[in-house]
Amino acid sequence: MFAFELAAATKRYAGGRPALAGVDLAVPRGAALGLLGPNGAGKTTALRLLLGFARPTRGAARLQGRDPYDPASRRGVGYLPERLALPAAMTLRRFLRVHAALVGLSGAAAERAVEDAAETTGVRDRLGERLASLSKGLAQRVGFACALLGDPQVLVLDEPTSGLDPLGVRDARDWIQAARARGATLLVSSHVLSEVERTCDQVVILHEGRVAAAGALDALVEPGGTLEDAFVRAVRG
Amino acid sequence: MSGRAFAVLALEAARDALRRRFALALAILLALSLLWARACTGIGAEISLNDQRIDPALLAGFLAPLLFSVQALAVLLVAGVLASDHLARPLAEGSAALWLARPVAREVWAGARLAGALAVALAAGAVLLGGTTAMLVSRHGVDWGPALAASLATAFGALVVAALAAAASLAVGRTAVLLALGVGVPLQFFANAAGLMAELAGAEAPMPGLLGAIDRFGPPLGTAVFAATAGWNPHVDASGVLLPFLGRLALWAGAALALLLLGMRRSELVR
Repeated sequence: MFAFELAAATKRYAGGRPALAGVDLAVPRGAALGLLGPNGAGKTTALRLLLGFARPTRGAARLQGRDPYDPASRRGVGYLPERLALPAAMTLRRFLRVHAALVGLSGAAAERAVEDAAETTGVRDRLGERLASLSKGLAQRVGFACALLGDPQVLVLDEPTSGLDPLGVRDARDWIQAARARGATLLVSSHVLSEVERTCDQVVILHEGRVAAAGALDALVEPGGTLEDAFVRAVRG
Repeated sequence: MSGRAFAVLALEAARDALRRRFALALAILLALSLLWARACTGIGAEISLNDQRIDPALLAGFLAPLLFSVQALAVLLVAGVLASDHLARPLAEGSAALWLARPVAREVWAGARLAGALAVALAAGAVLLGGTTAMLVSRHGVDWGPALAASLATAFGALVVAALAAAASLAVGRTAVLLALGVGVPLQFFANAAGLMAELAGAEAPMPGLLGAIDRFGPPLGTAVFAATAGWNPHVDASGVLLPFLGRLALWAGAALALLLLGMRRSELVR
């Protein structure tokens, strides 16, 4: 069973060109896939289809072998959106507690998961603060804490290092690699090629809603070349 | 899991509603409405018309339904205003994506948001209608019974209005929803009142025109409250009148909830 699947998935928003046009994608469990592409390539749309936020106009999307609209498909899934909008008036502790409850944790286990996620992502001393008071970088750390809560088996990260300073970027890499080390499946959409290079073993490059290149990182990058070379080649032809 | 998720999200939705600026406006509105009720119930029982002393029970039977109905209308509007963006705002801001990425059905999330908004509106309604009734009981000697029945009718009505407002907010902007609420709910109340007066005046045919259609086919938001509070009038036999209207309101509530859940199922998260 694949963790993520898109089968000839097309998504057309009202009055626009297709954001995705017949994309096939299959990510086996335990793999780490980097989704690359220029702005407007369809990366975020692909993630939306896979998480059940939108339905494909044609084709199909499956998450952990199920229709992504089925809530059971999202069990054990951690998600960090590109545009992270935190409920401003909540405290961080309350926010993480509610998420712990939705993950299915309660009592001491929930409290431990909240503390662990906050400790790991370096926001433990902010647990009592309102989310509105956090800087962009801290908010991104909170987003990671939320995504990593309860040790998910599937992680979907959309531009994960957005807003993080160099220390935060390094920390984020460590969190992602720790998730991989415990066997989590990873789907990372990013503009930062070096981050994908360090954290993923498979790459799909989208361009204008289509798959321009796909495969193992080693196979895509030519000897002596870089992922950037492969990216430019795939996008510019 | 879905029951627990609903409870957790509904509690959070209620807290979210209380944290909004509207909560302060609501508190001021409550205080003003109770002051107004205090002034209205302060009307003396010694009123004469053409040297004829008016029966105090008759005065109470007229004043109490009128006052209660106006307050009930305010509760319906509060429920609608709270629900008008309690669902649409997190969807537009993008914070809904974080909740909906969890193993939570969209319907559960939407229902919980509605329940949270409704809980705050009904709590405000309990204070307003309870306070008003307490004044009517202590100053005019009316019974609590009709007030309880009318409060139940108001709660059903609030559910209808809130669910319709939330469903509409998935399709149109908040200004349009507020405009529809500001015009639609009082119009429904007015149509119900006009229909009732026509009936009391002995009209044999149903009220004609648009107003008649609104009265007959719209949710009986006003009629249910009028029917319940008619029990305060010593010259009106209101027994058994309320039940059919509550039944119609329940049907409307079911339809409004179905519309909301269908709308939520079809909507797409674009942020």
